[in-house]
Amino acid sequence: MADDEDRETLLPGAAGSRKRDMAAICDPSRFAHRVVVLALMCFLGFGSYFCYDNPAALQTQVQADMKVNTADFMQLYAFYSWPNVVLCFFGGFLIDRVFGIRLGTIIFSLFVCVGQVIFATGALVNAFWLMEAGRLVFGIGGESLAVAQNTYAVSWFKGKELNLVFGLQLSMARVGSTVNMNVMGLVYSRIKDHMGAAGYSTLGVTLMIGAVTCIFSLICALVLGYLDKRAEKILDKEQGKTGEVIQLTDVKDFSLSLWLIFIICVCYYVAVFPFIGLGKVFFIEKFQFSPLQAGAINSVVYIISAPLSPVLGFMVDRVGKNIIWVMCAVVTTLASHLMLAFTFWNPWIAMSLLGISYSLLACALWPMVAFVVPEHQLGTAYGFMQSIQNLGLAIIAIVAGVILDASGYLFLEVFFSACLCMAIIAVVMLYFVNLLRGGDLNLSAWEREKLQKQAAIEAEKEQMRRRNSDWARIRPLSAFAVRVRYLSRLGAQLPEHYCSHLSSLAHRSVLK
Amino acid sequence: MASDRGWRLLLFGLLCVGALGQEQSREVWLQYNPGTLDTSVNVLHARAVGNGSTIHYVWSTLGTPAVLLIYSESETSQLRVNWSKLLSPEPQGALSVEPAASVRYATAILFTRIFEYQDVNNTANFSGTDEKYFYPPYDLSRLRWENANASVNATSLSANLTSDPSSFQNGSVSFRISAYSTAGRDTSSPRLRHTANCTKLEFLLAGIRPRGNNSRFALEMATVEQEGGKKMQSVRSIDDEYTPSVFEMMQLVPDAPNSSLARGFLQWKSVAYGSPNGTRADILPCQLYPLRPVNATFPAGSIAHAYFGDALGDAYNLEAFNISFGIADGDFYDKNQFLSWSALIGYGDPPRDSFSILVICIMAVALGTPLLLLIIGAIVVTAMRHKVYSNYEPIN
Repeated sequence: MADDEDRETLLPGAAGSRKRDMAAICDPSRFAHRVVVLALMCFLGFGSYFCYDNPAALQTQVQADMKVNTADFMQLYAFYSWPNVVLCFFGGFLIDRVFGIRLGTIIFSLFVCVGQVIFATGALVNAFWLMEAGRLVFGIGGESLAVAQNTYAVSWFKGKELNLVFGLQLSMARVGSTVNMNVMGLVYSRIKDHMGAAGYSTLGVTLMIGAVTCIFSLICALVLGYLDKRAEKILDKEQGKTGEVIQLTDVKDFSLSLWLIFIICVCYYVAVFPFIGLGKVFFIEKFQFSPLQAGAINSVVYIISAPLSPVLGFMVDRVGKNIIWVMCAVVTTLASHLMLAFTFWNPWIAMSLLGISYSLLACALWPMVAFVVPEHQLGTAYGFMQSIQNLGLAIIAIVAGVILDASGYLFLEVFFSACLCMAIIAVVMLYFVNLLRGGDLNLSAWEREKLQKQAAIEAEKEQMRRRNSDWARIRPLSAFAVRVRYLSRLGAQLPEHYCSHLSSLAHRSVLK
Repeated sequence: MASDRGWRLLLFGLLCVGALGQEQSREVWLQYNPGTLDTSVNVLHARAVGNGSTIHYVWSTLGTPAVLLIYSESETSQLRVNWSKLLSPEPQGALSVEPAASVRYATAILFTRIFEYQDVNNTANFSGTDEKYFYPPYDLSRLRWENANASVNATSLSANLTSDPSSFQNGSVSFRISAYSTAGRDTSSPRLRHTANCTKLEFLLAGIRPRGNNSRFALEMATVEQEGGKKMQSVRSIDDEYTPSVFEMMQLVPDAPNSSLARGFLQWKSVAYGSPNGTRADILPCQLYPLRPVNATFPAGSIAHAYFGDALGDAYNLEAFNISFGIADGDFYDKNQFLSWSALIGYGDPPRDSFSILVICIMAVALGTPLLLLIIGAIVVTAMRHKVYSNYEPIN
């Protein structure tokens, strides 16, 4: 193997000649080969997305077979989030500096696989603590795998079909979640029929079958690693990097606006994900849905956000006014939670609203970070945002379970609504802070454009003035000029970080 | 829209608080076998006096266990028991309320039989289960009952009617009875809200050895109504704060649109518990089956016969109904050998759940604060803008 590599590097001409002989499907520089790679990339994340919501899809079964209350059940989600409170900062670092993209991907896939197998084994031997341990291992792999997946995408498709690839990966993630929600219950009942009775071993076997998707993803990771290595040899390309820079000392420089954005992020997402985790049984118990219907309606948020995210992203791009959009999204989500709490209206209405507002929030909230943070701190800001988001999710998941057991769904929904109201408070404060300090968060797109033009003119004038008088040089810039200059540095009216190919944006919370 | 809802909630909350304040209370006495020292039978008499009326509740395990509700528009009405007649084979007329003219309404609930069936496929489909899976039903009139005197607590207004374990598969059927002098809420699941106009009964099946695998139980009851009959109402409520994940309240009320006095009710949440803990994990949803007329010839008689007399068969409507416990894929009785089902029996409007003060406060604060902040922010910003312009006028 090493010999081969040596020969390869010694004889670059040989590689070139071989390239010409290859069929399109084997040639890394050809589209046909990239399609193969794309398929592998999509399936790379499938297992992890499929298995992430296994507990939600099987809530009644897990609780009945393992004899746990809802609070303990929600620990399964909390244990997924705990490692990611820290790992958000290191995922990129591990890929860039320690493992490299190929080995990193394989290791993360292994974690996912092993985690799911431990999770299933826990059910098989009727040990709930083992299931929790499995979720912890799964969490270590899951979130970082998403980062690796995106890094692969950038390294293979940058400057080509990158947006399409992101779109497809996103759709695949949704397909994974949706298939899980709708299929796991069926698998369970099939196995129950086969084994004669429900019990922890039925649950274990069902989860083991879920683990097959993880093994499938692991195989994809191995093949992808091989193909990437091969492409490196043939095309002489570099191994993909996330390029993420995280400096924790930057935290002290974070502005008030950024902290407000963090609060919005945490308060909003804790009212969405733990709710989906508990949603299936909610629809069965409150709205008397069949388990099948309940699984379907619980996955509607994912289904809606798949096609809607790009559309809304484009719209927010064109219009600007991010704070207003965030406000709309949070208020709509609040309305849908109130509907679920205080009415018996068909929950399809509320869940569709939730799906729409959820997609809108993702499009409007995450790019805002780029407006309030200098470029070199962006990685830290996103890492920090995800870290506290995971912390919030872990804590609220447990709290939600406790509340449900003690005070029921109405109170739980009231609690979620209260979280959303806190998000609204943060949005309102952000609006005023932005207004008073003259921030760019709520400018419309054409205003941003105008500012840039002005910035260009201003810069020119400034240069003229500097040329004319030395006196001008010592005069401090006005806040306006600083801001305009900053905007001009950002380039287009939307910063490039807006594209989700920034690895930080690859985390599940953002993708989903 | 959100704010509007908030205000409405707040208003509603205030109304609720107001309504709670005006809730009537009654003076309640609980007595065991009034007027005799004989303890061979159990007769419990709860007398709730207030607001110019008396509600008599009479519980007895004589024959078929039953509860009698008599509403009298006099604060001084008394229950008269003719004990020798009551204990004779023909107890008709042994019970009466004096003055008889003050009695405006009377009804009774009889607990007739307990069904046990084998739920082979764990579908909990009581009415659809084949005849052959049913064990012979337990006839409650055949049980022997323990002396309830010791269980009577005159201060907490509670008592237990418990069957003798030797007469029933080593276990016991019991009725825990509580009367209330004021409105409030139970502390034990399902935490029913009660008023002074009702009493609670908790039906318990504890420690009974199932007669086979996959046993489920159902309870048969009969109800007495003078005009028309009874009707069942299902009240769905969004509020499950006190009984997590139970959204349905069932009510059995008189179907007598012409009579303004026929207001007796039996009310319960569609839930039973499969363990004494009464947590969400122990929930056994219960299913109600339609009322069906029955003839009045109960072999053993009951306290209802003693009060209504021979007219029970002619002038009154007797209807029976079943409640089955358990849900498809749920736990069977032998898991904890425990079943508890609670219901309220009373006179007047059945109590309704309302949002707790805590929920109303949280919603009011949560929805109000952003609005307040918006207003304050708007004022501050306007003021500061004004200031900014006045302070930094361009110097020309």
